[in-house]
Amino acid sequence: MNYIKLDKTRCKACYLCVDVCPKKLIIKGSQPNSLGHFPVEFKDPDNKCIGCAMCAMRCPDIAITEVVKN
Amino acid sequence: MIKTTEKLVFESPKSLKAGMKFPFCAGCDHGVAIRLVAEVLDEMNLKEKTIAVASIGCSVMLYDYLDTDCIEAPHGRALAAATGVKRTNKDKFVLTYQGDGDFASIGLAESLHAALRGEKVSAICINNTTYGMTGGQAGPTTIMGQITKTSPNGRNEEYYGYPIKIAEQIALCDGTAYSARCSLDSIANIKKTKEAIRKTFEVQLQGLGFGFVEILSTCPTNWHLTPQESHERVRNELFQVYPLGVYKEV
Repeated sequence: MNYIKLDKTRCKACYLCVDVCPKKLIIKGSQPNSLGHFPVEFKDPDNKCIGCAMCAMRCPDIAITEVVKN
Repeated sequence: MIKTTEKLVFESPKSLKAGMKFPFCAGCDHGVAIRLVAEVLDEMNLKEKTIAVASIGCSVMLYDYLDTDCIEAPHGRALAAATGVKRTNKDKFVLTYQGDGDFASIGLAESLHAALRGEKVSAICINNTTYGMTGGQAGPTTIMGQITKTSPNGRNEEYYGYPIKIAEQIALCDGTAYSARCSLDSIANIKKTKEAIRKTFEVQLQGLGFGFVEILSTCPTNWHLTPQESHERVRNELFQVYPLGVYKEV
């Protein structure tokens, strides 16, 4: 199972990762963080994540701190 | 803790300070550029021998992000300071991280002469076609027709003149070993940018001469666009004026 680790306190809600995810597993969140932004959420109930790390490469704030491939 | 069968394909670079957060606006490509620099420093094992020279602009607080030795240069003088550092510490790895206003306007003399002298340093210039930190005034790289705070009717040739093409100018200098222009608008271009940064660092380590990479970046706040629209603008407008490519490689 591949997955990403998301640090929601770092996310500034630019949503660039939402566009690059090939499986559309990253979605805009509805709960604000301490910065007042609405950080993204990673939803992967069917284990579709391929561990390509494009979201982490795109994120300007290193909010996606780790990508693990199995 | 990851299991033994799992493989970490991405992690925060070790050359960045632990727990550091970028203060940039949402969607600003500065964060990507600094992370790429840190990743290359990690991969080339240069962290302990690096002295970074920060400039003025949004790039000013480089010392807060990079876990290497850093000095802060006066506006535009990063390459003058880097020259002194490199000439007195030949075993050190010296890099500058500057914006286009710092590199190509206030510091054009220092930058160009560092390239002409063939200083064995690496320079990274982030080109976002505006003065980001001070509120979006017209800079030396502002493209024709671009509306900024100080060019409210768009840049025109009679009043403002033409933008500077930094990578081409630096490539004309005999002391330059590597000069390239990259972009951060897509994943493919981010990977190419990382390779260009690596090449820029290699020419210094091999003592070939001045290494330079210009990175087309975005400024969503001062362009008054969303981060997504900003990348569209880079692709649709900036690529016409600033073509990507390697302009010199010895």
